[in-house]
Amino acid sequence: MSELALRLASLRREAGAPVIPKIRPPAPARPDIDALRRMAGVRQRLGLPVTTRSASRDVPGDELAPGLRYLEQRFAWPDAPSVLDLSFAKLEPAARHRFLHFDTETTGLAGGTGTRAFMIGAADWHDETLRVRQLYITAMSAEPAMLCAFAAWLDEETVLVSYNGKSYDAPLLATRYRLARMTNPLFGLPHVDLLHPMRRRYRHVWPNCRMATAERQLLNVVREDDLPGSEAPRAWLTYLRGGPSTDLKRVAAHNLQDVRSLGGLLVKAHAWADDEK
Amino acid sequence: MAAYLSTLRSDESDAVVGTALDGHALASRLTAKYGDRVASAFTVFGREGAFVPLPDDLPESLATALRSRGIDRLYSHQRQAWDAARAGRHVLVATPTASGKTLCYTLPVIASVLESGGKALYLFPTKALAQDQVAELLDINRAGDLGVKAFTFDGDTPGDARQAIRLHGDVVVSNPDMLHQAILPHHTKWAQFFENLRYVVIDEIHTYRGVFGSHLANVLRRLRRICAFYGVRPQFVLCSATIGNATEHAQALIEDDVTTIAQSGAPSGDKHVLLWNPPVINPDLGLRASARSQTNLIARVAIKAKLKTLVFAQSRLMVEVLTKYLKDVFDHDPRKPARIRAYRGGYLPTERREVEREMRAGNVDGIVSTSALELGVDIGSLDAVVLNGYPGSIAATWQRFGRAGRRQQPSLGVLVATSAPLDQYLMRHPAFLTEASPEHARIQPDQPLILLDHIRCAAFELPFVGGDTFGPVDAEPYLQVLAESEVLHREGDRWEWIADSYPAIAVSLRSVADGNFVVVDRTGGRQTIIAEVDYSAAALTLYEGAIHMVQSVPYQIEKLDWEGRKAYCTRTHVDYYTDAIDYTRLKELECFDGTNAGEGSARHGEVHVIRRVSGYKKIRYYTHENIGYGPVNLPDQELHTTAVWWQLPQATLDEAFPSRQAALDGFLGAGYALHTAAIVAVMAEARDLQKAVGSGEGEWSAHVDASGRGQVRAPDGGLDRIDTLERFLPTVYLYDNFPGGVGLSEPLFHRAAELIRLALATVDGCECKAGCPACVGPVLAADEHREETPRMLAARVLRLLGATA
Repeated sequence: MSELALRLASLRREAGAPVIPKIRPPAPARPDIDALRRMAGVRQRLGLPVTTRSASRDVPGDELAPGLRYLEQRFAWPDAPSVLDLSFAKLEPAARHRFLHFDTETTGLAGGTGTRAFMIGAADWHDETLRVRQLYITAMSAEPAMLCAFAAWLDEETVLVSYNGKSYDAPLLATRYRLARMTNPLFGLPHVDLLHPMRRRYRHVWPNCRMATAERQLLNVVREDDLPGSEAPRAWLTYLRGGPSTDLKRVAAHNLQDVRSLGGLLVKAHAWADDEK
Repeated sequence: MAAYLSTLRSDESDAVVGTALDGHALASRLTAKYGDRVASAFTVFGREGAFVPLPDDLPESLATALRSRGIDRLYSHQRQAWDAARAGRHVLVATPTASGKTLCYTLPVIASVLESGGKALYLFPTKALAQDQVAELLDINRAGDLGVKAFTFDGDTPGDARQAIRLHGDVVVSNPDMLHQAILPHHTKWAQFFENLRYVVIDEIHTYRGVFGSHLANVLRRLRRICAFYGVRPQFVLCSATIGNATEHAQALIEDDVTTIAQSGAPSGDKHVLLWNPPVINPDLGLRASARSQTNLIARVAIKAKLKTLVFAQSRLMVEVLTKYLKDVFDHDPRKPARIRAYRGGYLPTERREVEREMRAGNVDGIVSTSALELGVDIGSLDAVVLNGYPGSIAATWQRFGRAGRRQQPSLGVLVATSAPLDQYLMRHPAFLTEASPEHARIQPDQPLILLDHIRCAAFELPFVGGDTFGPVDAEPYLQVLAESEVLHREGDRWEWIADSYPAIAVSLRSVADGNFVVVDRTGGRQTIIAEVDYSAAALTLYEGAIHMVQSVPYQIEKLDWEGRKAYCTRTHVDYYTDAIDYTRLKELECFDGTNAGEGSARHGEVHVIRRVSGYKKIRYYTHENIGYGPVNLPDQELHTTAVWWQLPQATLDEAFPSRQAALDGFLGAGYALHTAAIVAVMAEARDLQKAVGSGEGEWSAHVDASGRGQVRAPDGGLDRIDTLERFLPTVYLYDNFPGGVGLSEPLFHRAAELIRLALATVDGCECKAGCPACVGPVLAADEHREETPRMLAARVLRLLGATA
């Protein structure tokens, strides 16, 4: 710790700040950079292959811009209705191609300007498939590029679909666009937040109305080896600070399942209109 | 005695008046009848108003609105404020209470709303003031149908209203805590507001001093960062009560130049001021009748003379007591509306609003209040103000007196002294109130802990990039510390917030650190929180065995959970209270500056303070007998802070005093007097600035023991014999009672010679025989007959330190 840090720490104790026992493991000893360079030089001279970084730092997808990665997968979905009834959300029906199901993974729940999205997943019906596109950043400087790429997926026709996105994901992205001095592409678009209709319909039926509950009850989706959303910030930070990418990949899998389920839940909700007829 | 006083009370007031009087006549009558109690009487003469026409560049609709409210001309200072604001300057208005400061900022703000859709942010120290402002703005708005939207935004604002306020509010009236915790950390939601922010109005800036002011200066640094992000540079309009350094204080808060307007053009009537010392009832001990009895007497006389009267009391409890006494006289008929009302913090907002309304409507004849009414809450006009005890500063005294005086009528202000040293000092030195410059407000925005807190909050709001400064401060070392604690992540030249936390919530603007203890009542299996105690006071009041009083109901502390910041207690019925025995030891760490002081020296620097509570005394009510001791086992309290200190060389002391004991007693008395003088000089709260006497090396510390003599203790707390010490270098310290210091002691060092002189004037001028709470601290009756009294010894120390009478 620097001298200032030590001084501040002792002043804080005197001021009555509770003493928090350190639970962080000791930081690994910093490798001596010069020593590493010397070693690398020796290897080169010996003609030994220079080992690449440990495989656990691999990040999937294509690099769209420095620090911005892109994943795309398609899932067959031949029988999706061509027009979806949105009366459950008091909106006009809309054609299938207009929907964009989206979900963000963020650095926390604290709110305010200090929380950011490091991953945005979006699913739409494309040809006879559900296309899932995911953007994520491996460096903070890539955030504007990610926001820009996501904005390109939206147009004035788009109908957004989310689970609690009206209160959480959309305002958070609005803040990020504002901080990046970019126009917020979500502004003014119709937005179907499935949490509210699910809650209205199943509040007294299910133990809770979380997304995982809805997809289990309505879509029979049971997740295996799912990384809980609350673990996402840590997973990303671990990678950012030079740790393995193992859990970051699990975040991507979790996010993928989220946006796929949004499509399924929307179709279920669309069908409620028939139930009532 | 009590019986005597109560009979005195009941017929005295009626003897003075029976008919309506004005402030001048009542002052004369009181002086004539109680000449021995009036320590001083003087008149602050009123003045004619200086009026000017409404400015030509005032928007026509606003001028119409003003005229329809009966305002067809301005006071000269209001016009000056308008001109300065229109010229793009930051403006400070430092005119007296009730001089119409509000219009000074209302006019430019409304004009900018009407002309260019400019927005304004108002900051008030309390919610009540904020609500007053909005009511006034809405009145003008209605009068001219101006369409200006003004809202309060505070902790009570419901969630669904907040969005509308952010988008549509032209004038948002809030407080520094909300700006710090709710607005700045969510600035993107306020983007439209910030993009058009034209004025920031901060009223009552004299209340932002010490720790609170240091925090506010940093909140304003954050505000300016956010404004820069949105490409605006709002103008500040600041208002202050009369303090000694209003301009300097304003510039310290906003870190920019201000145009000061200090000459009021508002008319005022003569103000008749009485300094009232309760009669002496025991001349030997210097005991006087209570201030409460006298305040009650004067208020009764004034109300009977049909003067609308406001009484200021120092505590909420005293408000209730005085209200009851006055109600017993004036409100004994329950069928009639109440003539006497109480006003204080702790009442529900609706009740406070109702009392304010009743007062404005003139339905109340007597109000008893805490400092809650000292600030500009609109309660209409009054004729008399009675202060039950010196409020602690010249500025607050005048501000409270300023509450009285309507139109050009003469008004009355009475300051009733308690037996506290400051009060008695004032009674002997009335010129202090009229001639001394009012107190200086000090802030220390670069105090490291406060700075770290706000750089953390600022980094949350916007990343620091490259060599960004924070105000004038190089932020980099702080950013590194925050990165080391994994709150920030450094990438290239950017420091980005990375933690999942909301730092502003953990930072309270009203203290350095938030380590409050809660007191939990466990009587009969309950688990009720009955009080909160500051971290700094916990060791002295919450030790196991302590009697802790809430509304004078005694509870006994049974268990203190130091780490968990909790004290558990149960209701008890004992006939004693407890008083901690504590020792303070100081060690000099670094001397920043030094100078000669008479035959000794005065210095300023960093010190290490160690405070230990070793036990407590049980003291029986009324008789004040010491009926037992208890041990206390608590960790030492440590503090690194800044201090000013005085020393005399050993040789000088040996020559000037017959014994080391005498010299030590002199230092203890001098310390007491210096502490009083210093509190007066720098507008400090007594608990923010502490005193101590000890050796410069931390080898021993000195205290007054039960026999009234100085005692020396070794670092382990054991008693030491003063004559066996190898070196004897007594030192008197005044230190900031905050980790890292808050900037009180440095100005004290620069005024060291003046303090010594003031302290000697107090000691020499005291009317007591040997020493009393008003000069060198209480002394025992036995000491009165010592050959050299504690007073003489203290005066000798002060003279050796360069004081001349």
